[in-house]
Amino acid sequence: MKKGRAARALASSLAIGVGIALAGCSASGAGSTGSVASSDYSGPKVTVSFWNGWTGGAAPVLVPKLIAQFNQEHKNIVVKDVPMQWADISAKMPLAIKAGKGPDVAVGHGDDIATYAAQGLLLKSDSIVKSLGYTASDFPAGLLSDGNYKGSQYGIPWSVTPLGLYINKDVLAKAGLDPNLVPTDKTSYMDALAKLKAAGVQGEWADGYVFTGTFEFESLLWQYGGDLFNKGVSKATFNSPAGVSALTQMVDLINQGYSPPNVAQDGDINALIAGKTAFNWNGVWQTTNTALTKDKWTAAPVPQIGSQKAVWSSSTDWIFPANKGQDKNKTSAAATFVKWMNNHSSGWAATGELPAQNSVRNDPKLVAAYPQLKPFLQELPYAHYETVSPGITNAEATITTAVNEAMVGKKSPKQALDDAVAQANQLLQQNASQYGG
Amino acid sequence: MANIVQPTLPAAGARARGRAGVQRRTGTAYLFLAPFLILFCVFVVAPAIYGLWISLHTWNPLLPLQPWVGLKNYIDLFTPGSLTSGDFWQSVGNTGIFTVASVPLLLVIPLVIAVLLNQKIRGGTVFRAIFFAPYVLGVAVIGVIWRYLLDPQLGVVNHVLGALGLPSNIPWTVDVPWAWISLVGVTVWWTLGFNTVILLAGLKGINVDLYDAAAMDGAGAFRKFWSVTLPGLRPVMTFVTTVTILASANMFGQSYLLTKGGPGHATRTAVMYIADEGLSQNQMGAAAAMSYVLFAILAVISIINFRLQRERS
Repeated sequence: MKKGRAARALASSLAIGVGIALAGCSASGAGSTGSVASSDYSGPKVTVSFWNGWTGGAAPVLVPKLIAQFNQEHKNIVVKDVPMQWADISAKMPLAIKAGKGPDVAVGHGDDIATYAAQGLLLKSDSIVKSLGYTASDFPAGLLSDGNYKGSQYGIPWSVTPLGLYINKDVLAKAGLDPNLVPTDKTSYMDALAKLKAAGVQGEWADGYVFTGTFEFESLLWQYGGDLFNKGVSKATFNSPAGVSALTQMVDLINQGYSPPNVAQDGDINALIAGKTAFNWNGVWQTTNTALTKDKWTAAPVPQIGSQKAVWSSSTDWIFPANKGQDKNKTSAAATFVKWMNNHSSGWAATGELPAQNSVRNDPKLVAAYPQLKPFLQELPYAHYETVSPGITNAEATITTAVNEAMVGKKSPKQALDDAVAQANQLLQQNASQYGG
Repeated sequence: MANIVQPTLPAAGARARGRAGVQRRTGTAYLFLAPFLILFCVFVVAPAIYGLWISLHTWNPLLPLQPWVGLKNYIDLFTPGSLTSGDFWQSVGNTGIFTVASVPLLLVIPLVIAVLLNQKIRGGTVFRAIFFAPYVLGVAVIGVIWRYLLDPQLGVVNHVLGALGLPSNIPWTVDVPWAWISLVGVTVWWTLGFNTVILLAGLKGINVDLYDAAAMDGAGAFRKFWSVTLPGLRPVMTFVTTVTILASANMFGQSYLLTKGGPGHATRTAVMYIADEGLSQNQMGAAAAMSYVLFAILAVISIINFRLQRERS
């Protein structure tokens, strides 16, 4: 998961070479609609092919176990687990689906769903969602609608991965602060940073890379009341006063001596692990980082720096591919599998991701087993998920460029954001003309 | 052997026309060349032509339709303010900076090392292996290694500099010009072994009698190097220069891994931008057009390079 986004960017690259050859072959225009009779498939025995990018961490052990259990409980369904690198999925899946050789069910990232849907690669799943009995209130606020593109549902939530505040307690203690200090707002956070500075510690190393400068910037932007794009995702809006405030807050960390200048990629978390800094805004996936085990650390919800609570989160969803000649029975069986997996997703917390289904996540047993996830669970009511728009990742990449340029001091926050927005707007226009956005 | 290969040159082929024996031999030559020729056509010529075709379309491989746009992708590249022109020419400029900075070092340093290794010194083979060793590593490996070593705050390099009383906060991978120094330095360290070995082979091919003759004429070490070694190396040097220029102009992995193309896009090379445009953003048409413009630039540089080296001989 950790490098999922970066890997996918490179990833879509690799398959394209093959892709060009096949792309012209089939044109599946508007997406077809999927429906299932019930949440418990009762048709003839079928094999369901399931693609996922779960190749690292606890998943390669956990998933086969779950699938074996599912297969045992369902005599008429055989789920075939096909794990591969996220990069390979992005590269192979569109072409495989067009050729009728794609999976019957897959897990995809939130910001890929619209891109897939616009290409007609996914089944419209409104009626599947209905048959499975899901409503928006089964998931964190706004998450189900994040799988919705142009009025149709394409994704069913599986997991979420919000940002949080990691705290190295040893560093706090060594600097003479209360090791149990948890800053919650701007005053307490800046106060802690000032005290750390007085003790010779640069309290939050801030970088200008996707991991995690971009995530921190986006969180702050939402906290200041801004948004990345306008409602129809036709214009970028992250150079609003809220955006400038957010980026200025980050650049000021350097100007005020709370962060060294020129922090390298991953320098922030490495510094926390090495006991050189006290705070790091990082994703829930770091809770499984074994390098942290030698530190006394804790995590907390990100402090509220702006006028409202908000935090960045990514998400993954179940998707039902519209393979050429998709077997309805297989889709039905896949839906049964999805429902079962979501009901049995509490163990998923071991991978450093939060199960999306409320009933699982709110079960006290989950926090009891994974206490370090508690602060991340608390953040979900105000988490922001991916922007739903086909091809959006290219416009999102301009945000990282702006954050980088400002953090390295090449441009003022305002200038960096203005330049990036100009570029992003051109890209959005290009996406609209190509995907019919 | 030379006789058989010669007719493949167009001029020689034209002259040979009409002479039955030569013609038969030409046929035989093509027969022997066929296995490579087929691969060359399938994997180089055909994709190149297909790329030209792609560059005339808005080609998003994920979409069903690839609309024809004529020369728009090329015109965009030469229209200031278009979506691609600013980024493209910045990346070409970056590639230029890297090439100009790295090629001289990648010629001079391997030459010096090769001359030293060519002396009859003890352990010469060991040194040769040591110099060549980094070249065996993949770019991913050297990228990761040097990202750790060059980390501005936590890296070994700055730590050592600090211990020596030098500035210890140099942003090796984060800000220019330091990022360029890192990229060039890492590349030189990584690939000099290859050039060294080629040049060493060239040195071994120079007739020892020439040095003896030069010594008899009263030439010193420097004069021998200038008048015997360098002219003797010329064919090898042409090859090494050409290959090095092209390799530097195609630099991708080092920037991708060490600097992420940053700060901003200041170290994003042309190939990196083309890959991003085509493979991440799925704009294969625009990316193909950029590839052809870059190809044209490199072709001109290669021709100039060959001309210069030939005129001297």
